[in-house]
Amino acid sequence: MMNLSRRDFLKTSLLATTGSMLVPRFLKAWENPIQRGSDRILIVLQLSGGNDGLNTVVPYHNDLYYKWRPKLALPPDKIIKLSDELALNNALEKLHLLYDRGHVGIFNNVGYPNPDRSHFRSMDIWQSASGSAEYVNTGWIGRYLDSQCDGCGAHSAIEIDDTLSLALKGASVKGMAVKDPAKLYRAAQAPFFKTLSSDFSLVHPEENVAYLYKTLAETVSNSDYIYSKSKVYQTKTEYPDTDFGKRLKTIGELIGSGVNTRVYYAALSGFDTHVRQSGTQERQLKTFADAVYALVTDLESTNNFERVVIMTFSEFGRRVSENASGGTDHGTANNLFLIGKKISAGILNETPNLQDLDNNDLIFQIDFRSIYATLLRKWLSVDEENIVNGKFPVLDFI
Amino acid sequence: MSSPMPFSIPGDKVKYFYNRVGFGIPFRGPKSKNTSSLQNEWGNTSSKPQLLSSVEKPVAKEHPAPEKFKEALQKSRQDLMKLNLAWMEQMRTTVSPLQEKMTLFWHDHFSCRTRIPYLAQQQNNTLRIFGFGKFEELLMAVSKDPAMLQFLNNQQNKKGSPNENFAREVMELFTLGRGNYSEHDIREAARAFTGWGFNGGGEFQFHSRQHDEEEKSFRGKTGNFSGEDILHLIIEDPKTAHFITKKIVRYFVSQEDVNPELVESLSASFFQSGYDVEGLLHQIFSSDWFYETRYAGNRIKSPTELLLSIQNHTGGKFENAQSLIFFQRAFGQLLFFPPNVGGWPKGQGWIDSSSLLLRMSLPQMIFHRQENGFEAKDDGDVNSINESFHGKRNLSLVVDWENIARSFSRSANETVELAEAFLLARPTTKVNRELITSMASKSTDDTEFVKKVFTGFMSLPEYQLC
Repeated sequence: MMNLSRRDFLKTSLLATTGSMLVPRFLKAWENPIQRGSDRILIVLQLSGGNDGLNTVVPYHNDLYYKWRPKLALPPDKIIKLSDELALNNALEKLHLLYDRGHVGIFNNVGYPNPDRSHFRSMDIWQSASGSAEYVNTGWIGRYLDSQCDGCGAHSAIEIDDTLSLALKGASVKGMAVKDPAKLYRAAQAPFFKTLSSDFSLVHPEENVAYLYKTLAETVSNSDYIYSKSKVYQTKTEYPDTDFGKRLKTIGELIGSGVNTRVYYAALSGFDTHVRQSGTQERQLKTFADAVYALVTDLESTNNFERVVIMTFSEFGRRVSENASGGTDHGTANNLFLIGKKISAGILNETPNLQDLDNNDLIFQIDFRSIYATLLRKWLSVDEENIVNGKFPVLDFI
Repeated sequence: MSSPMPFSIPGDKVKYFYNRVGFGIPFRGPKSKNTSSLQNEWGNTSSKPQLLSSVEKPVAKEHPAPEKFKEALQKSRQDLMKLNLAWMEQMRTTVSPLQEKMTLFWHDHFSCRTRIPYLAQQQNNTLRIFGFGKFEELLMAVSKDPAMLQFLNNQQNKKGSPNENFAREVMELFTLGRGNYSEHDIREAARAFTGWGFNGGGEFQFHSRQHDEEEKSFRGKTGNFSGEDILHLIIEDPKTAHFITKKIVRYFVSQEDVNPELVESLSASFFQSGYDVEGLLHQIFSSDWFYETRYAGNRIKSPTELLLSIQNHTGGKFENAQSLIFFQRAFGQLLFFPPNVGGWPKGQGWIDSSSLLLRMSLPQMIFHRQENGFEAKDDGDVNSINESFHGKRNLSLVVDWENIARSFSRSANETVELAEAFLLARPTTKVNRELITSMASKSTDDTEFVKKVFTGFMSLPEYQLC
């Protein structure tokens, strides 16, 4: 019953539709780069779960540190001294190598007023760059795209993941989630999607259906661009065999391939150390530092390191005092790393004050939006005020 | 399953009604051929709240010993997921889709998170009990709801050391909307809400000793206002009626295309009626403009709506209910876990390149077991134990395709036309129709043909719309 007419359809339509699969010229425009800031790149690394800053950059000279943390305070053989005041957790050995070469800057006490100790809310605040009493449904990198990305592609900001974080969602332009360029390419280039995206001239441009087709066509086009570019360069640098290591390897290879992406974003989770922190945090920090070291090595080998700045952050630090389960609970202000050739190296501000606390928590000194503002203005060369929603002091670490 | 009836395409208005007021036409067919009887029926059942009951009330509150703390948190997390799935199942099987749709609206409007499953369930039931009556009663009930008081820190709001979180959000997000109150109003309202808390049994409690009994000045009025007085004053302002009406119209009709005059007149009568929510809905659903063809197929389904429409359209059920948690996380709308008190994204906010690709791959994943290794994000919280799958996951939706094939038994062209009219809110292009037909034509039997046709239409951008 069905077969006859089905075969007819097959003959008349299949080849006709797949034959017109040329990507329209205006889609190519999406491959344009963002112009401002020449060829500089920002990499944002998110440590999810609230990394314990005090056992990351350790105030080893402060008696209060040992007083608040009778069990968790790191002994002398578990730290690498940076100054008379501060030391790195041993697990960050590879980061220390970069520090010694003058490529790492450390800010202490970074946070925001009226800190929120909920993971999701504080992450929301950091990603949207909003105050703790504001609710903003776009991200700061997304707003950077909104302001700069006229006719350029979603791949101008890439998150190495399967889903896109709020940080990369703008009001009109959104970044792109790519965990594996080859996998994305295969998914997006499925003949069905490719055919659909090849012609949407019939749908009404004002309507949501057009927005969907446009997004699809852009995805097909960008995944093709990223994948074909990514084949240009395969790294010889050995990255650690961890999920995070693979993600940074993808970043290293995309940069090495000359993809015109301006912002990369990747996350490592597992820092929510309420119980038995010792060992757990070290494992995560080592995963982080080893992968970052490999990425820097890779970028140096392709002469790209000088056009890159890496910023790390976590949604909050942890309590100054340890808890009864050998862990630490959610806290507030935290330290933050900047890694690159063009940044001020060393310890960039005061060490954490363990004396004057707010309900047992560190009091922030630097609003994280000042860090964002500085990166936007001085590294990406854009007007930062509309992106961070306000005036925040631009710092001089670049 | 009942014997298959030859399927007939419902009228456009009925389809639209199901899409907008419910979650898509069920495969078993519409319950009625006209919207006014559907509206009556759904309206009647909506006044009888169907409560969620998957979480038992905890017995006498005891703090778990520190070594059991993690276990207790994981149990809570599991119960929250059980509650989530119980609600998803109720939305799928309900006789009153409107009640579920409206509960979903209020769940987003009064956006709230709690780690305590019983409180989450209690709040959801409060939305069901009061969600169709007078808005003031709903507002009062939600404002005294333990989950909300906890979420917005009102337990910490005490005389002499006010916490303004609750007072701020009540005005900004729940009633007046930004720009219609001052910072002074927030401070004064916060004083009026001092002492609002709850007890260990999950009941509202007014701690009179923590309450600020001094005079407050709020939006030009002065008096020793209680929290109730403040809510009442907020309700007396027609701007609240306008804020709620506009949000309801955007939810049911269009995020982008809102006629200001229409909202003005609806909100005036909403205000006149003393904020009768059911009356407002009735007015919208019985109007002619609601059914204007320009609205059909121009509204982006939320992830919840997408997941329900695909189950409704096929009569299918997930083999492993956990799949629903996975997809909610992957698409970015895990019920009971809104991103913040502002609620979930809306409209185009749901769509980016990866979410669109995943949404369009959904039929392949659940009908054809085409696994793509996609992973949902982890939220950083150690207690949100892996809700993803360990080892090989099973995302299958179990569908009786033979039954669907029998119901859609026609010539190939007619089957395609019928499926398109059934599944899509608005027709797709001729090119797409031909593409789907040609892909399905490689089938060996009618069942496979129908399955491929459904897969094709459900994989279109148009299927993301209703």
